[in-house]
Amino acid sequence: MIYLDNAATTRPMKSAIQDAEGALNELYFNPSASYAGGIQTHGEIGRAREEILSLVGGTENFGLIFTSCGTEADNQAMFGSVKRGNLVVSGGEHAAVYECAKELKNRGLEVRIAPLNRDGSVDRDALLRLVDEKTALVSVIHVNNETGAVNPVGRIAEQVKEKNARALFMSDGVQAFGKIPFRLTKHIDFYTLSAHKIGAPKGIGALIVKKGVKAEAYLYGGGQESGKRSGTENVFGILAFASAAKRKFSTLKEDGERILSYRERLFEKLDKDLFVRLSPENGTPYILTVSAKGLRGETLVRMLSDRGVYAGKGSACSSKKPFSRVIEACGVERELLDGVLRFSFSPENSEAEIDEAAEIVNRTAKELYGRIR
Amino acid sequence: MTEKVIIIRYAEIHLKGKNRGFFERLFTVNLERCLKGLRHELRRTSGRYLVEKFDEERIEEIEERIANVFGVHSYSVGLKTEAEIDAIFECALTVCPEEGTFKVETHRGNKRFSLTSMQVNAEIGAKLLNARPKLKVDVHAPKSYVYVDIRENQTALVFGEFKRGRGGMPVGASGKGLLLISGGIDSPVAGYMMAKRGMQVDYLHFHSYPHTNELAKEKVVSLAKQIAKFTNTYRLTTLSVTKIQEEIHAKCAPELNVTLLRRFMFRLAERLAKKRGAQCLITGESLGQVASQTIEGMTSSNAVVTLPVLRPLVGFDKDEIIEISRNIGTYDISVEPYEDCCTVFLPDFPAIKPKLSFIASEESKLDVEGLVEDALTTLEMISF
Repeated sequence: MIYLDNAATTRPMKSAIQDAEGALNELYFNPSASYAGGIQTHGEIGRAREEILSLVGGTENFGLIFTSCGTEADNQAMFGSVKRGNLVVSGGEHAAVYECAKELKNRGLEVRIAPLNRDGSVDRDALLRLVDEKTALVSVIHVNNETGAVNPVGRIAEQVKEKNARALFMSDGVQAFGKIPFRLTKHIDFYTLSAHKIGAPKGIGALIVKKGVKAEAYLYGGGQESGKRSGTENVFGILAFASAAKRKFSTLKEDGERILSYRERLFEKLDKDLFVRLSPENGTPYILTVSAKGLRGETLVRMLSDRGVYAGKGSACSSKKPFSRVIEACGVERELLDGVLRFSFSPENSEAEIDEAAEIVNRTAKELYGRIR
Repeated sequence: MTEKVIIIRYAEIHLKGKNRGFFERLFTVNLERCLKGLRHELRRTSGRYLVEKFDEERIEEIEERIANVFGVHSYSVGLKTEAEIDAIFECALTVCPEEGTFKVETHRGNKRFSLTSMQVNAEIGAKLLNARPKLKVDVHAPKSYVYVDIRENQTALVFGEFKRGRGGMPVGASGKGLLLISGGIDSPVAGYMMAKRGMQVDYLHFHSYPHTNELAKEKVVSLAKQIAKFTNTYRLTTLSVTKIQEEIHAKCAPELNVTLLRRFMFRLAERLAKKRGAQCLITGESLGQVASQTIEGMTSSNAVVTLPVLRPLVGFDKDEIIEISRNIGTYDISVEPYEDCCTVFLPDFPAIKPKLSFIASEESKLDVEGLVEDALTTLEMISF
């Protein structure tokens, strides 16, 4: 099986599992307990927090709340910070942000959606025009999970603050963290992460919050995570997250170069009579999104699965809707909306796999053409 | 000794004259099957069934299961005690509320009991009034009843209400049919309706993987499981019509896509039905609901089979079908989003009144027998 859906989730790294195993064996204590084992476990969580923070911004200016997933982090940032005013979000936001915005709208807030460029990045000028003195929060996804387009969130945040210094700025960093070089800047108030996209297990995410910025609790209870996120900590997940993150950052540059060559190699080998590229060249190396003209991406995904290639059809979270909201917002033509296929890579992939996958994808698409034309 | 019992009365079985024994035995088997896994004893007495010695903590579950067995007209949760006034009165106290109007209604199966029904009513009524001063007798429109049933074997049953069953006939009493089940609202309801009339229902589902989703199959399994409560059928057969759809799409007039596909489905269903000993096909079609469910559409499908095609919903409005589907718990499953047919194969303007001659000429472009044989090789059985 050739796994090319790493933007949906990744296979957990053996090293991350090993590094975290202590939490299941020796350090199984409740981190809130007052005895030595509990205190030691609590200390391990603190170390993991610092390690992850140090990879993107340092502990001096930012804090980090462990959550159960990226979606929870996005929810906490949005519901925990906005009470009134208007909200500006890009049309390329992941459902974890977009649906929160819709809910906030139901609760009476004004929501403004910023249009996208063809490649899935936000139209920055249009976004800035939507920001005014009443804007409470602006959200721009860092790497568009459907096309791979990268938004320069540091710069956008700065421009937002120039227009309204009190507006908060958040960015969903789930597809960016550990995959593209990035440091948090003082203009970014919230940044959200998910561990299973970088080789840690599912069930752990994080909300990075700039110091001095309020992100109200979303879950109440035992007061863990400084009262910001109650619930006994997922110690195993946290330790594995830190281990995987460290590993990803240590090889970020080499991995990025190698994977960029895979992305381009795959696209080069795809039959251009059948496939149109939707991903930008300057996007994340990890995602290549194409559309098969006149075919259905979903049917292709199933056929590819039967032939041993696992690929995505855009965002897995929106698989119950006919077309992707985000791809539609990019202004992609109607006849291409149905045929979207997303290939996403990991350092575990090899060049031979890419070549084999390209051959299978071409053959399968051609076959499907023959069957429905 | 007093114990809690459930009294079950059956629906139409008493109409069946000499066949009554057959229906009663079947009904007993179905009741036993529905109570499988729950401690109980089922006893048949004249005209009634009694469930005894069950786990009282699980009574709600037992009631729910009994209520879903076809053939149950009504049932009551009551007390069984000695046929003796003091014992009956003790039971009546637990059945009767503290206040309000009431009426005692006695039925004597044992005509040799020392008191007449009227006398029992009077005695128990007087004792209740004495014990509970806030009670008042109202023989015309009482708020609550105390029913006393004096049986032949020196026992009496005391209960407060009749709960309605689903009626109908015991499943298995009316032959066997093959239900064409999709993931929609109608077909599970059609299966339910035929099972209600005593038909044993087998399920057949058509898919067109990879054009349709594996999840669609899972959904059909959920629907089949939900109606299995009533039908007692715990397996689903699936067949792929992928190749048939592709061939029709490639060779035939697009407006006939659905008509032709349905003819293939009927042919396949009939082949399977005959193999399985099913005597008819069952569909969820309702006249005029969609383009293929016109009388012409139905005629064109019927034309390729010899078995009767039962369409229990043919005269129902969608609202009426939805009401039943809510009642049997399939609605929420049916409305979950999924695709039951690839949009690639759906024509913009399907033929509403397809002519048989046009259908025949379009179909002659296909190797009908070859496609049918080929589709039959894709048969899969899912047991649940």
